[in-house]
Amino acid sequence: MVEFRLPRNSRVRVGKAHPVPQGSARRIRFKIYRHDPDSGTGPRLDTFEVDRDTCGEMVLDALITIKSEMDSTLVFRRSCREGVCGSCAMNIDGVNTLACTKPLDDISGDVRVYPLPHMRVIRDLVTDVSHVYGQLASVKPWLRSQSAAPEARERLQSPDEREKLDGLYECILCFCCQTACPSYWWNSETFPGPAVLLQAYRWVADSRDEAGDERIAELDGADELFRCRTIVNCTSACPKGLNPARAIAEAKKRAAQSHR
Amino acid sequence: MSTAQPDGEAGAARPLSPHLQVYRPQITSVLSITHRVTGAMLSIGIAGLVAWLAAAAAGPESFAVAREIAGSWPGLLILFLWSLCLVYHLLNGIRHMVWDTGRGLGLKQVRVSGWAVVGGTVVLTILAWVLGAMVAG
Repeated sequence: MVEFRLPRNSRVRVGKAHPVPQGSARRIRFKIYRHDPDSGTGPRLDTFEVDRDTCGEMVLDALITIKSEMDSTLVFRRSCREGVCGSCAMNIDGVNTLACTKPLDDISGDVRVYPLPHMRVIRDLVTDVSHVYGQLASVKPWLRSQSAAPEARERLQSPDEREKLDGLYECILCFCCQTACPSYWWNSETFPGPAVLLQAYRWVADSRDEAGDERIAELDGADELFRCRTIVNCTSACPKGLNPARAIAEAKKRAAQSHR
Repeated sequence: MSTAQPDGEAGAARPLSPHLQVYRPQITSVLSITHRVTGAMLSIGIAGLVAWLAAAAAGPESFAVAREIAGSWPGLLILFLWSLCLVYHLLNGIRHMVWDTGRGLGLKQVRVSGWAVVGGTVVLTILAWVLGAMVAG
């Protein structure tokens, strides 16, 4: 449902300010969304001033600096710190991206850090993604085939067939695209969203998969596949340079062909 | 396709993270919402078109009134804005039709075609009014 304003318990108030210790030549200011479920006071926006010369190059480096030197209660997900795990997806400077691959020098002014948009916040920058995982599981993101597997070897693909998966298989499920999509914000109960649709199409496009028609039929419908309005916020957010909008367009074409 | 919210009661109490409030407006989303708004304006404008036709059907006196309203400064302003909506919705509609064939969805193509629609809207709307003024003398 379209709900432009945040619910009462979700409005963000001004939080604490943490100034940098004296003596730093260059400083940057971070405005970071905080939520402590035990506080009972709701979300707030804390300010941290950080020494640019010692905080590292990426937003994630600076968040780790803040956590280890200024406020150990700051909570965020991170793991690989090189853009392959998708854990540190968050809204930075107004756009969803990975904190570990977002250079501080790309941001002018205050660095504003929020959780992935329109999600339930567990704590600080950590959101509940279990609904998205459930949607992902519902498209059965694995190889489905009836024909017998060739004996003693894998199902082969030609180089051309393999090439069709480029731009699809690289998705790391960070959900930057998913939570950048206004259609998903308003319709997440029924709309699979760009990340899940890209994953579904990844199997439709796979020459070894034999459930393509079935997959398209399961996605087909005004509230599912065609809830995508081609806004293209997904593609403009993807930190891996993938194109969910194009994958969805191809899936829509398949669905339209099946209507003939 | 629906999956239940697995987070139960705790989920309902959890705050919703900011969305429209913090997401940076981009050419992708701004042109999309503009497409929807201009579509709504065109639908409302149809009522004006029907009133114009009804006035013409009712006779010369009522048609003269309709002409006077449409030719007044507020009338002309509304007509100009309506024509702006019409041209934008038409050009962006063509953009959407191309997208529906699977083409033009590269990020750079999306941005270039978006700005082309914005520029084309301004140029074609002004051109239509200049031509209209010339024909009307």
